[in-house]
Amino acid sequence: MKRTYQTIVVALLVFMMIISAACTTPTAAPTKAAEPTKAAEPQAEPTKAPEATKAPEPTAAPAKPSGTITVLTNRTDIVDTVFVEYAKKFNEIYPDIKVEFEALRDYVGEVQIRMNTTDYGDVLLIPDTITLDKLSDYFLPLGTVADLDAKYNFVMSGKYYQDQVYGIAMTGNFQGVACNKKVFEAAGITANPKSPEEFIAAMQLIKDKTDAIPLYTNYAAGWPMTQWEGQVQSVSGDPDYNAIMAHMDAPFSPGEPHYIIYKLLYDLVKAGLTEEDPTTTDWETSKQMIADGKVGCMVTGSWSITQYQGLAKDPADIIYIPFPSNKDGKIYAAAGGDYNVAVNKNSKNPEAAMAWLWWFLNESNYAYDQGGIPPLKTAELPSTLDSFKAANVIFVANNPAPAGEEAFWSNIDKEAETGLWTEKPGQRIIDAARGATTESFDDIMNELNAKWAAARVKLGIK
Amino acid sequence: MNAKTLMEKIGLPVFKYLTLILGVLVAVLPLLVIFFGSFKTGTELRTTGPFDLPQNWLNFSNYIQAVDRGNMLLGFFNTTIVLVVSVFGTVMVGSMTAYVLNRFDFKFNKLVMALFLIAALVPGVTTQVATFQVVNALGLFNTQWSAILLYMGTDIISIYIFIQFLDSIPKDLDEAAIVDGASYFTIFTKIILPLLKPAIVTVLIIRGVAIYNDFYTPFLYMPKTSLGTISTALFRFKGPFINQWEIISAGIIIAMIPTLLVFLFLQKYIYNGLVKGSIR
Amino acid sequence: MENIQKSTKPFVTFSRRTKKQDQIFTMILFLLAPILLLFVFTYIPVFNMFGYSLNKWDGYSKAKEFIGLQNYIELFTRPELFRVFGVSIYYFVASFIQLALALYFATILSFDVRLKNFFKGVLFFPYLINGVAVGFIFLYFFKPDGVLDLIMVSLGLGDYVQQWLGNRAIINYSLAGVSIWRYMGLNFVMFMGAIQSIPSEIYEASSLDGANRWQQFKHIIFPSIFPIISLSLLLAIRGSLAVFEIPYIMTGGANGSSTFVIQTVDMAFKNQKFGLASAMAVVLLLITLILAGVQNLIFKDKNAGSN
Repeated sequence: MKRTYQTIVVALLVFMMIISAACTTPTAAPTKAAEPTKAAEPQAEPTKAPEATKAPEPTAAPAKPSGTITVLTNRTDIVDTVFVEYAKKFNEIYPDIKVEFEALRDYVGEVQIRMNTTDYGDVLLIPDTITLDKLSDYFLPLGTVADLDAKYNFVMSGKYYQDQVYGIAMTGNFQGVACNKKVFEAAGITANPKSPEEFIAAMQLIKDKTDAIPLYTNYAAGWPMTQWEGQVQSVSGDPDYNAIMAHMDAPFSPGEPHYIIYKLLYDLVKAGLTEEDPTTTDWETSKQMIADGKVGCMVTGSWSITQYQGLAKDPADIIYIPFPSNKDGKIYAAAGGDYNVAVNKNSKNPEAAMAWLWWFLNESNYAYDQGGIPPLKTAELPSTLDSFKAANVIFVANNPAPAGEEAFWSNIDKEAETGLWTEKPGQRIIDAARGATTESFDDIMNELNAKWAAARVKLGIK
Repeated sequence: MNAKTLMEKIGLPVFKYLTLILGVLVAVLPLLVIFFGSFKTGTELRTTGPFDLPQNWLNFSNYIQAVDRGNMLLGFFNTTIVLVVSVFGTVMVGSMTAYVLNRFDFKFNKLVMALFLIAALVPGVTTQVATFQVVNALGLFNTQWSAILLYMGTDIISIYIFIQFLDSIPKDLDEAAIVDGASYFTIFTKIILPLLKPAIVTVLIIRGVAIYNDFYTPFLYMPKTSLGTISTALFRFKGPFINQWEIISAGIIIAMIPTLLVFLFLQKYIYNGLVKGSIR
Repeated sequence: MENIQKSTKPFVTFSRRTKKQDQIFTMILFLLAPILLLFVFTYIPVFNMFGYSLNKWDGYSKAKEFIGLQNYIELFTRPELFRVFGVSIYYFVASFIQLALALYFATILSFDVRLKNFFKGVLFFPYLINGVAVGFIFLYFFKPDGVLDLIMVSLGLGDYVQQWLGNRAIINYSLAGVSIWRYMGLNFVMFMGAIQSIPSEIYEASSLDGANRWQQFKHIIFPSIFPIISLSLLLAIRGSLAVFEIPYIMTGGANGSSTFVIQTVDMAFKNQKFGLASAMAVVLLLITLILAGVQNLIFKDKNAGSN
């Protein structure tokens, strides 16, 4: 009897220990999490300073950082191939850093959940939903605006707050419309459309003369809708437009950039110039379709060009034209940084994370490989930019908002739940245009105007 | 009269079997096309109809891809760990609680019982907003303990099942042991726990099915790829394989194989267990 | 309860102190972990949730701003936040169909049928399938030119082919249909168990009286399993308010398929409005509790009986 009693006690103690082990992990974790922040502050300075000043040649570091870092990426398509190659090259310089990648399917959605905790990888991409004034809550500073702007593209339009930069664009995009040249030829489109009307006419030609779907919206994937928001600067031609918009009462009224863009989308869908059932389409298929000439055009940033070209029989079939709008005859194209790479403030290996970040930006050639504008101002531009240069397109990069107003635009957008950088407005407009909902185009614009104005009042922004 | 008996003799059975066959078709067809699809090549899937048989039944390349690139093995591994630990924990916690509540006569037993009863009414998915903060504050986020403890801590049904079952075990047994001088520990482990076996099987099945199929807990609390369970690993197929339904199909079938095997071998227990568990 | 008291008498005199101590020790040991878990993962979140709902909070900042009932006012003055409850109606109606089908199959399979176990197994099996797998299976099923379209064309119903997930007017029917497919099996097995627990003499007696199947169903089966039917119905109502998995996996809540729960978790984790999301969760919790209260009232007699 006594023996069994003992064994039972032991068994139960083991069980209780399992439970208490689970309960002690929590007490251990916060201290672990607290350490890096302590360590990070003194270390962050030396790592970023030498890297930032003599970045291309990351030599002569006194002690090379080590440890395991997790890099979050949105590129589910190349995480197992291209990124693994990057890690190999990186390890030639930093053999003691183990780089692990995690590709998130729905990048912004999933990373946002994780950002409610301290565990969101060591190096990650800043989701645009994080307002600028909150950057320091999540990320380590990389340097001052002046220092980094001298060296890197899109710093001024990127993720900084109160003179500290928290992320640098891993590549630069410019906005336009990707089209299939063969489809254009078959439809008899000779000149690039320069206004919404010309564009609709061109799409109508495609519908009438070819079997191709004139324009593919990729509604179902969600994020392609945000590509239309990227065109705002192409339409406004004004690098200060976002700052101005934060003070506008009705930025969705006729004549304003958002109205022009949304109206074009609405009219295209309404005229039946887009895919028949937008809700079940899928992005990967659409890439093949535009490459094969089954789709005429897609409104996606320049980052998409190489992806289409890679699938086309002849890469030259894919052309990239400016967004069909002009201001007094001049054509503008928005240019700006892609996702900004940043280091998690809670990283346990901030030095190693920083080493990867700078290596990825300076050495990996990611931007050039993807046909984008490289982060380093001194780097060579890719050939995808040639066509735009020929068309005398003026590139417009966002100017920084005036001091103190950095977060205005994003705060209003968030408070108003307009979600301009989400799929919401685009999907809603398509739903209305295809008759899935009963609201009219002007209903939507009026509501957006009202919400925008109300949010400004609520936030006290005049 | 004659017409009526004819109707009853032939008409009704015909109708009966027709509806049954229809029911079977509805239940099986969606699965069957997935099964076929999992053996087809990409182009074959796009060029043939969903009901066409695959050209090569031994084409396992989709399965290999699903396992290899889709982290399915890792998913099984993680699911197994979480499942075994949390089901073991649930059985222990549930039977211990039920034993105390059913056999001991303490004033606050009723209070404890009420606490569990009320908790059972709280729909788990609504409180995630706040549970997330607790899990995070405990440092459990992105660890398997988050799912394990949540499964253990939010399961009230098994306590019910144990209490119900304990009701049917005569108390004379414990009393006799008490008279013999056995401690309550001994009584619990030597007498009660072995007698609870059928209830334990029920709990194993209910919790096993629930945990194996749960999506949201691992999705929310263990997003790290290396902690992917079957559900989350499969969910991530939507990204890289979105246009490769043949691979997604293979993934679906892989996820279903353990379920099917368990079902075929434990049918009776599953029917009984789930019926007991779903009636709160 | 009375039983225990009576039975404890003999040994209480035997060794009063040690037994009582042992009992307390055992109780503490046995209840410590369960009660700890209960509080940490149920009660603390629920109480915190009430607290959050009175604050404006983004979920990570240390500072919360107390704003009283503002979140509730916002919730009740924004009809679009409530509109999603409309989606529940589809699932609610679907649950009637689900119960009717389950009842039908349970009844016919309770009598002489060939391949009874086969039919039972096949009709039940969908319930066991992983939710993500179910979502994917039906994404494929509903695809344009997919399985359903093909079936309809081959039945000569090609003209009625729809964009099953693309048409805002249809999507919720499609998703509710998936819900029926997935959950019917459970109700069916529950009902079947209940029908089989009806003593067979009752049928035999009624057969002698010349009752046909329909009369047997109406006068014997239905009344005797009525409690479990109404219980299932109440569970179905609660379930239809908390629909989450099927639409979340299949559509992410797009195209008008969002439910209250999807909206709540998105409000918290994507819009970082934990206060408002908590208020929404509190409202849903209260509705659920009220329904549970109704359920308890109705089944009071039955519960008393079983205890």
